[in-house]
Amino acid sequence: MRDTVLQISDLKTCFDTRDGMVTAVDGVSLSLNRGECLGVVGESGSGKSVTFASVMGLIKKPGFIANGSITFEKRELVGLDPTAYRKLRGKEIAMTMQDALTALNPAYTVSNQIIEVLLAHDDTLTGSRKAKRKQAREQALEMLKLVGIPSPESRFDDYPHQFSGGMRQRVMIAIALACKPRLLIADEPTTALDVTIQAQVLELIAGIREKLGMSVILITHDLGVVAEYCDNVVVMYAGQIVERGPTHAVIANPQHPYTQGLLNSIPRLSDLARRIEPIKGTVPELVNLPAQCRFMDRCTRARPACKTHIAMQDCGPEREVRCLFPGTPGGGDV
Amino acid sequence: MTMAQTELKAPRPETLFQRNMKLFASSKLSMFFLCVTIGFVVMAVAAPLIAPHDPNEADLFRRLMPPAWMEGGDWAYVLGCDGLGRDILSRIIYGSRISIFIGASVIIVATTIGVLAGLAAGFLRGWVDVVISRLVDILLGFPYLIFAIALIAMTGPGLQNIVLALAYKEWVIPCRVVRGETLATTGVEYVEAAQAMGASKSNIMLREILPNILSPVLVVSTVRMANVIILEASLSFLGLGVQPPTASWGAMVADGRSFMLQEWWLSTFPGLAILLLVLSINVVSQGLRDAFDPKFHD
Amino acid sequence: MSLGKFIERLLQLIPVLLGVSVIVFVMMLFTPGDPVDIMLGDQHVTEEMEQALRRDMGLDLPPHERFFKFLGNAMTGDFGLSYYHRQPVAEVIASRLPATIELSLAALIFALLVSIPLGVLAAVRKNSFLDRLATVTSLFGVSLPGFWFGILLILFFAVNMRWLPVSGRAGFESEVAPITHLLLIDSLLRGRIDAFWDALKHLILPTITLGLPMASILMRVTRASMLDVLNRDYITFAEAKGLSRTRILVKHALKNALIPTVTVAAIETGSLLGGNMVVETVFGWPGLGRLVVESIFVRNYPLIQAAVLFYAVTYVMLNFFADILYTMLNPRVKL
Repeated sequence: MRDTVLQISDLKTCFDTRDGMVTAVDGVSLSLNRGECLGVVGESGSGKSVTFASVMGLIKKPGFIANGSITFEKRELVGLDPTAYRKLRGKEIAMTMQDALTALNPAYTVSNQIIEVLLAHDDTLTGSRKAKRKQAREQALEMLKLVGIPSPESRFDDYPHQFSGGMRQRVMIAIALACKPRLLIADEPTTALDVTIQAQVLELIAGIREKLGMSVILITHDLGVVAEYCDNVVVMYAGQIVERGPTHAVIANPQHPYTQGLLNSIPRLSDLARRIEPIKGTVPELVNLPAQCRFMDRCTRARPACKTHIAMQDCGPEREVRCLFPGTPGGGDV
Repeated sequence: MTMAQTELKAPRPETLFQRNMKLFASSKLSMFFLCVTIGFVVMAVAAPLIAPHDPNEADLFRRLMPPAWMEGGDWAYVLGCDGLGRDILSRIIYGSRISIFIGASVIIVATTIGVLAGLAAGFLRGWVDVVISRLVDILLGFPYLIFAIALIAMTGPGLQNIVLALAYKEWVIPCRVVRGETLATTGVEYVEAAQAMGASKSNIMLREILPNILSPVLVVSTVRMANVIILEASLSFLGLGVQPPTASWGAMVADGRSFMLQEWWLSTFPGLAILLLVLSINVVSQGLRDAFDPKFHD
Repeated sequence: MSLGKFIERLLQLIPVLLGVSVIVFVMMLFTPGDPVDIMLGDQHVTEEMEQALRRDMGLDLPPHERFFKFLGNAMTGDFGLSYYHRQPVAEVIASRLPATIELSLAALIFALLVSIPLGVLAAVRKNSFLDRLATVTSLFGVSLPGFWFGILLILFFAVNMRWLPVSGRAGFESEVAPITHLLLIDSLLRGRIDAFWDALKHLILPTITLGLPMASILMRVTRASMLDVLNRDYITFAEAKGLSRTRILVKHALKNALIPTVTVAAIETGSLLGGNMVVETVFGWPGLGRLVVESIFVRNYPLIQAAVLFYAVTYVMLNFFADILYTMLNPRVKL
């Protein structure tokens, strides 16, 4: 048996809103091995970000975890007391956000923002407050070098807005990796970046992942990114996982019509754009969902039989799909 | 009307204003205080019909008569009488005329001037903007009450002078808001489209931009009206408002001060009237602001 | 912010200050009545003496020359004589200023101390009972007419409960030799605890009356900006970094949330100046505001003119400092 780092079982995260109970994550299960890179794909509102906010313990009122368990290195995280959770966050599990410009505090220098995370977690720092700060400062500089900031000494005490978009993203990654976490959750790490810089940032993450031997969860809506960097992939739709498996297998032979839609939309946007139109007002639609396939209304394969609860079923080695009529594209499709 | 103009009308978000007003009307609290405010306006307009007595009818036999529920009170003079034996309730009812008249006329004058100046500055730009903005900067350099007091010191107290003294500076506030909004809207597509169609400047200003600044102007003018009413009452309190014997709330509070150790009702009731009116307008304004703020839409 | 930018900003004040002076001058130009007549009052003087006085005051000059004379005098602090007080205007104002500064500072401190913690708490516990209470209180705070509220406070705390004095600044004023002219500080510096308590008791009610509207406005601003900041990504990211709740609230949220509060506070300090007139009148506080009100009734125009100019210059400077403060707190904004 391989070394499992993160195990999510039947996670259900809800938000108690004025419009009713919104189930943003509904029965998500997945596991992640040491050193593995898992891609999580889905549109905005598919529940992918909420799933990993649940892992980070960052679900705030009116949201709450209604059911399920999350274990990180055999430790249960659901219901973990806040202090213990805080010690875990940033140290063992780290997260980067979509846009570094908004994720970095505009009122503090970059050095401050790296040093504070080291001071909060790094037990190897010794001596007086001042001595600790000095050591943290050196480590922070190391980290900035690692993420490829040219001449970090001169940029160290700059404010976030003084950096370019790509450099800011690197700074954020440096903060996340400062304590050498064992799991990195990278939420849309490239969406806010220019195409040319996207590849650099992803290569950076991949390189550090190898160096530190950490596991990575790459949340994205871009299957192209997943194809290049991830070992396995999970496709989410409307709060549920609809397909999972090894990346190459899923991409070569997608089983769920939604995955196919996503894949088809990459090269030929003009033809199939209609099928991946963004879901209008997704979140409110997650209130009081009827027991039926959630993709039904947009699916060309929908049949009366789909009007029932659909469970995940095996469809190949290490592969699962949530569809009664799985298959490769072409069958009855355009 | 040309085809182009009719087509341009469609995307204009006039309905947004209507939707906002519906949202506003759905708040019970706002509607309640809107009714209170309207009640005050009705009271001011119909003062001669409502007031039980002549507000200036003095009678020293009734001097400092307490409110009806206290010993020595009389239900004919519910809130008691002042130092000259005048009926306090009647004076409060007549006093609402001053507060509301001055509040409304200052805001109407100031909003009209401010909106036009703001539109001109924001839309015409160039030297018009420079002149108006400089003037705004300079007038903003004066604390409000001091400016008004200095003007009244110069022109003497009186209804007209008070309205002018307050409006001289008041227009600056809507002007700034409108200028900002206009600058923000001129870049918007439908205005650019109208410009490309060759619509005249004044036409664009009045037909395209004006409807869009309606909401912020409404919010600002209600907040400011509440403020102007307090300012007028403060002027009256200092003896710089409408001159006696005309009843005004601020002056009634000032007159009652010398009696406050025993005859507390002289100052208390007119003060309550100011508080209630100003509070109502502020709640309405807050309701409008919430309704217009896109953050609250969902 | 560089010194060059600072000086550039400072230079931009000149046209505003000049415009303010023009307006003050024009106001007085149109003041009804002849200044010499007003000044002389009932005194009987010869025609020549009157002419001489007129020439002395520069009243025979054309308006633009009178303006430059006025401006030149104002810059050297010469605002003429206050005949009512038989003293130079500048001296009269200077003697009343400390009381006004003390009251304004006390009101500012009161407003900040009340509004910031309350605004932060209301935002952190949004929709709680405390939040609702704070919102309703602030609505009353901006709707209460200060002069009336002051009277109610006197009625309750001074007359009925006898906890605090009814009016005035202090009973010990003459006994404490001035250092800063601020009684609270002077009495402490001189080691006169009795005088300090007395001054403090006199200060409480006027401070609350003057500071309440400002506290209400600042509370709302703080609450709104704190709510805004708490929803920002950098707060989530700070949480993801595993920082303590206190550190997140104080260091990450508050520093950003206070930017609008501080800016509004600096601007609102200007409106404290206006409120002074009313509050000083209600509480018999011997400050500049009451002096101005008194001067209107005795038509002491040179004093009104000087006071209005003084208020305006202070106000403009406060707004200037608000701007500077804003840029200092907010590294993203470049002047």
